[in-house]
Amino acid sequence: MRISLHPALGFSLSGLILAIASHPAVASRVADALGEPARRPLETVRLLDLAGRHLILAGTGLALVALLGIGLGLLVTRRFAAPWRPAVDGLAAAAQAVPPVVVVALALPILGFGGPPTLLALVAYGIMPVLRGTVGAIEGVAPEVREAGRAIGLNRWQVLLRIELPLAAPDLVETLRTALVLAIATAAVGALAGAATLGTPIVAGLQNQNTVAMLQGTAATAALAFLADAALLTAVALWRATRP
Amino acid sequence: MPARSATPPSIGFRLLLPILATALGFGALVLALTEMPLLNLAGNRLAQGRPLFAGLVLGGLLPVILALSGLALGLLMGSRRRASAGAAIVLLAGAVLALAYGLGDGAARSLGGLPPAARASLGPGSWFAAALLMTGVGLAVRRADRPGLGWLITLGGILGFGLLANSGAVGALSLAVEYAARREAVNAAIGEHLILSGAALGLAGIGAVLLSLPRRGQGVVAMVLTGVQVIPAVALLGALVAVTAGLLRALPILRDLGLSALGPAPAIVAIAAYLALPLWRGLALALRSPDHASLEAAEAMGLSPGQILIRLRLQLGAPILVGALRVAAVQSLGLATLGALVGAGGLGRIVFDGMAQFAPDLILLGAIPVVALSLGTERGLSAVEAAARRRWHA
Repeated sequence: MRISLHPALGFSLSGLILAIASHPAVASRVADALGEPARRPLETVRLLDLAGRHLILAGTGLALVALLGIGLGLLVTRRFAAPWRPAVDGLAAAAQAVPPVVVVALALPILGFGGPPTLLALVAYGIMPVLRGTVGAIEGVAPEVREAGRAIGLNRWQVLLRIELPLAAPDLVETLRTALVLAIATAAVGALAGAATLGTPIVAGLQNQNTVAMLQGTAATAALAFLADAALLTAVALWRATRP
Repeated sequence: MPARSATPPSIGFRLLLPILATALGFGALVLALTEMPLLNLAGNRLAQGRPLFAGLVLGGLLPVILALSGLALGLLMGSRRRASAGAAIVLLAGAVLALAYGLGDGAARSLGGLPPAARASLGPGSWFAAALLMTGVGLAVRRADRPGLGWLITLGGILGFGLLANSGAVGALSLAVEYAARREAVNAAIGEHLILSGAALGLAGIGAVLLSLPRRGQGVVAMVLTGVQVIPAVALLGALVAVTAGLLRALPILRDLGLSALGPAPAIVAIAAYLALPLWRGLALALRSPDHASLEAAEAMGLSPGQILIRLRLQLGAPILVGALRVAAVQSLGLATLGALVGAGGLGRIVFDGMAQFAPDLILLGAIPVVALSLGTERGLSAVEAAARRRWHA
């Protein structure tokens, strides 16, 4: 347990330092030290509001992605789906060649400005890595173990729930971490499509040369990513520790 | 084909599945071509338009397209022979060609008599139908199972489409009009994009080699590189712009060297920071690929460490290295799109211009080359990876 908590500790520490750096007073100091002209910083209330919206958008996206990605991943690793695997693999590889910015941009004319195109981009882009990760995790389970499960009389569902999923769990957690990082990054990119997230002060700051606001957004976005990742790692570690 | 080791699923299911999939695919194609708008006719490039359907756009070509694709799908469903897969490819290619010609012709006819600012853009039905037909071609190529056929078809497709575009048959479509107006800008952006992602890849490669040199401290390197992956790219770009600006104020000489806070420099560094992890990890795995016995044998034969590195480690690790390069290159091309945010140019600039103007065609004009470059790189380096695996792991 100590080993699995270790990266979480480093990540939460980085997150906390970055969160402090996003505070108006601290960010103004940093900008001053970099020699930037003094500009009006973003108030803490506004920053927290944006962080909340960012978290809701990324969280909703992550939940959808996890549900669909893991579900589809489990489906295509069942035996009856074997003939379809090459097609699914090809599709997954092709989908990952489209960067999230491009998905956000392409969704814009269809869904308009704001949260919806970002959410769609998040889901459309996130499903395939999760699907791929799930397939990899399930296929990493040694076939002998699976056969042994069948040999002692477990049915398909029992093999899935009692053998495949527990053994694939560490890889599945890694997949979810990737998806989480992706969700937070895509939500930040969503600022380009007019979604109110922590990416908004970055994009606006770059346009208006307001370095203070840009630094605040930058630090806060990175802080959110580190803290969310650390939270996921901690939750998994706690869950493992409480299990018999 | 995967080995069918255990009991197969029921025979009925096995027979039913292809029929069901074929019916579903053909149904979707019919729906896309007859019920969804194929073109969108608008007063200018930014205005909301009105949808045009198959009757007006495709006319007599609609039954031809449906017959060709229906026949191809029937062949794919009914027979597992390679010859029928080949025939299906030809039929589907005909359907794609007919659709492209029909859309271009329909656009030209519907624009007739309208002011020059009017635009006919592709509607959802066209995109959906094209995607379905391409999927069909992909399935048929897989079924035909000939090495290199996929590449041949891709090349033929690009060539065919180029000829069609060159003949002016699709010149009335808004995407072609937009491209004609910005040909230079788009071509320049493609060049910038390649330079941007290439430079980042080179920088990350040098970084990965340097980072894997010290024997101690690889754990810290792993932690830092993994940590970088967590930072959203938008944030890292912003931070690097601020840091570069500060650096330029502290050391004005750098400005004389052509460095600026907004421009390619921070973008290349930011992109390279993300690519360092896959490259560094790939390098470490590749160098560890030969087993103990072969290393000892090589030493016993009197090979120097340098010879062992080149003849053994790098050759056995070549597939892993190429795999890491593939992951990094695709990531680089995608991230380079964001570079436009900090004034680095590239295809992202066209995409962002399109977003700012709410002009779908402009967004597509930037997005299509990004996707094409990424897909081409992915496929190309996958092929190299497979070849390396065959060559050294026979």
